[in-house]
Amino acid sequence: MSGSGADKAESGRSVRNARLSRATPWLWVGVALLLTALASAAVGAVPIPPVTAARILLARLPALHIRADWPASYATILYEIRLPNLALTALTGMALAGSGAAFQGLFRNPLADPYVIGVASGAGLGAVLAMSAHWPAGVLGLAAVPVAGFIGAVLTVGLVYSLSRVGGSTPVTTLILAGVAVSSFATAGTSLILLLSTSELHRAVTWMVGGFSLGGWEPVLAASPYLLLGLGVLVLLGRPINVLQFGDEQARQLGLDVERLKLVIVVAASLVAATAVSFSGIIAFVGLIVPHLTRLLWGPDYRRLLPLATLLGGSFLLAADTAARAVLSPRELPVGVVTSIVGAPFFLWLLHRARRRLRGW
Amino acid sequence: MSHRVALSWRLQSRRWQAAAALLSLLLLVACATAAPTAVATPAAVRIVSLAPSNTEILFAVGAGAQMVGRDELSDYPGEAQQVASIGSTYGALNAEAILALQPDLILGADITSPEQVQALEDLGLTVFVLANPVDFEGLFANLELVGELTGHSAEAQTAVSGLRTRVQAVTQATQGAARPTVYYEVDGTDPTAPWTTGSGTFQSLLIQLAGGQNMAEEMQGWGQISLEELVARDPAVIVFGLGPWVPTTVEGLAARTGWGDIAAVRQGAVYGIDANWVDRPGPRLVDALEAMAGFIHPELFE
Amino acid sequence: MAELELQSASLGYADHPVLRQVSLRVDPGEVLAVVGPNGVGKSTLIKAASGALPPLSGEVRINGLDLRSLRPAARARLVSVVPQATDLPGSFLALDVVLMGRTPYLGWLENEGALDREAAQLAMQRTELAELAERPVGELSGGEQQRVLIARALAQQAPVMLLDEPTAHLDLRHQDQVLRLVRELARERSLAVLLALHDLNLVARFADRVALLSNGGVRALGKPEQVLTPDGLAEVYGMHIHVMPHPVFGTPLVLSGE
Repeated sequence: MSGSGADKAESGRSVRNARLSRATPWLWVGVALLLTALASAAVGAVPIPPVTAARILLARLPALHIRADWPASYATILYEIRLPNLALTALTGMALAGSGAAFQGLFRNPLADPYVIGVASGAGLGAVLAMSAHWPAGVLGLAAVPVAGFIGAVLTVGLVYSLSRVGGSTPVTTLILAGVAVSSFATAGTSLILLLSTSELHRAVTWMVGGFSLGGWEPVLAASPYLLLGLGVLVLLGRPINVLQFGDEQARQLGLDVERLKLVIVVAASLVAATAVSFSGIIAFVGLIVPHLTRLLWGPDYRRLLPLATLLGGSFLLAADTAARAVLSPRELPVGVVTSIVGAPFFLWLLHRARRRLRGW
Repeated sequence: MSHRVALSWRLQSRRWQAAAALLSLLLLVACATAAPTAVATPAAVRIVSLAPSNTEILFAVGAGAQMVGRDELSDYPGEAQQVASIGSTYGALNAEAILALQPDLILGADITSPEQVQALEDLGLTVFVLANPVDFEGLFANLELVGELTGHSAEAQTAVSGLRTRVQAVTQATQGAARPTVYYEVDGTDPTAPWTTGSGTFQSLLIQLAGGQNMAEEMQGWGQISLEELVARDPAVIVFGLGPWVPTTVEGLAARTGWGDIAAVRQGAVYGIDANWVDRPGPRLVDALEAMAGFIHPELFE
Repeated sequence: MAELELQSASLGYADHPVLRQVSLRVDPGEVLAVVGPNGVGKSTLIKAASGALPPLSGEVRINGLDLRSLRPAARARLVSVVPQATDLPGSFLALDVVLMGRTPYLGWLENEGALDREAAQLAMQRTELAELAERPVGELSGGEQQRVLIARALAQQAPVMLLDEPTAHLDLRHQDQVLRLVRELARERSLAVLLALHDLNLVARFADRVALLSNGGVRALGKPEQVLTPDGLAEVYGMHIHVMPHPVFGTPLVLSGE
């Protein structure tokens, strides 16, 4: 990593750019979130003029005395369909990007995503089990499937973690390997169950591709506490995660309780990812790409990376969801398809640009 | 597994037949208790169908003109394609599009997931789910039910008697006739391990009523069998479902490696049947029955 | 001020001890260099002295405190480690890296305060890195990167400092610069410095005492001219060694005799 070939002028420029970028990211991310939220609320099978939409929302304030001169279905659409969808999508995007960033920090590996230690495969297995065995439905009703998915995810991560403990420490490479192995097993189990109870195939595919489509505010209210708690913890751990980037040994020598930190990250990030998957299915790409994008734009400092990636993830998924609903209306594309199609080329372009400026990681 | 199977109605195995019947009964009771008397409930005049089979049933009882929306796969009869599409029923339903049509009845089927039903009901919409029938009487009951819901009871009765007569014609003709072994192919993507139907499915029932013997009858539900097994059992008749996404043809199947010695192939008793007739729990099941009977007992039917 | 002491420590991994019954002491203000062939256990010794690798038997103490009895943060306030400057995450700014030396004084949720920033500033001034503070470490030369890691250890303000092959990837000029800095710091701040080094000539010039490791133990311990003898070295390295006085410094100059 010799700097003898570095161009002094170039590095001077990069320093100035770094200073500039330091001030504006929150602005960019905030604006992005606002714009994508507006777009998401504006798009749907029924064209509601923006002014009318604004008036419908403001009518909630009795002081403004706005008379209802719109069809009743508009209010239903806005309050019961679009706004809850907007909220859940934003939360899911935030959850995936936030946990993805945390896992990339934990594993010091740019290929880590929220599913690498088994969250998705475990949730899938749990959900499919609940669909095939009808007993939990009697007690929990439709909530049986997301609950079972969540439990499946948590148990799988727990298994992966305990398999990776080697004499008091959990080396990250072991975590990844155990995650891959257990995930394969869980996925195979899921396929087997589906083969034996083909009646649930349609429902299972529906879930995997985009979640429960339950609609309404209930999923949002059910998921929010876990998501906000988990993300809140992760976002505050930026500084210790920075130290972790120098390796377990150096981090330990700098006085960090590395094993406890890893455990906290695994628990919080898995909780967040498991909740997101249970309600929204397995949406690929967001948790991998958004942290990268954030890193390329605003640097590797996790104190900023974690909160910025989280917010950017919300915007990203909102944009993808809006496109998924608008492009082939009335058909709704699975949002995961859009995230891949849109995200991949964009990321390649950013990487190409950044390779000149940044050296290393 | 073929796309077609995923789309098709999944037939409950024997264990769930009772549950399905109970569910139908419960649904009927629920509907009855929701409205004080069946007679007092007004007929639905703005209907959205969430399954191609429902669309076919609606048209069969004369309620086609009362449809305001359909799923994108509803393509029969031809007039159905004029009805507005609400998109795919895979994944999230386009609730807005459905709501915008202001339906007074949404007709779901077995492929409609409970979450989708709940999502619609949460919006204040009325949803009725037709359970998959396990036999023709079940199918006829569904038609009569839809007739009542849409104010076409008389037409439904007429349609049902016509269908019933046709079914009886087949069952009576094949009574006592020898039962050739029939292999029904659900998916032949892997010709060394094709998917077929065991017992407990409507496809199996069709074979039986048409005077044949399901080759894979000891199996429950759908599954794969090995080519070896197939050759050993040497079915006399092979039937497979035809469709736009199924590449199988009569010549293609006959030409498959290792299939040449099967009795059905040697005697040219390989037939394709419109998959939609067989897979959709609607009135065209009767067409399927008649076609099957023609394949299995050409000597009895023209 | 504190001294580092290993008492009859056996070090290594559960089924395979690398060093047996090692006893040595480093006093405040002195630089003790550990030398020996590759694989003899120099890095293992450094790891054990930092508390990262608990001894299989025996003790590692700083100021009389057994390292095992301390929590990671408390340990890091007593001993700092300067690793080799390889595979550093290159996008962090030099200042950020030096600030990480303050980790033992901060809780997970705390951010650096004025005191911490001051400690980092002083460390960077002493290591002549003040101008490079805002540069990403990936853009610095090998010597500069090593100095960043030394500054980080300085910011830790620990009385014991360990260095593991700090000159491994450095050119001639930077090797001298780094080791001279280390010796000066030891004197200035009364640090007890334990240094693993493979270059015997650098050891001769910059170390106060030398421990020669061989065959799982300390073969010799003493001043450089006492330990770096042709016979002693020949036995450990398995080849003819020639030792003569350095023409400028007078310290032992070790040359291959084959």
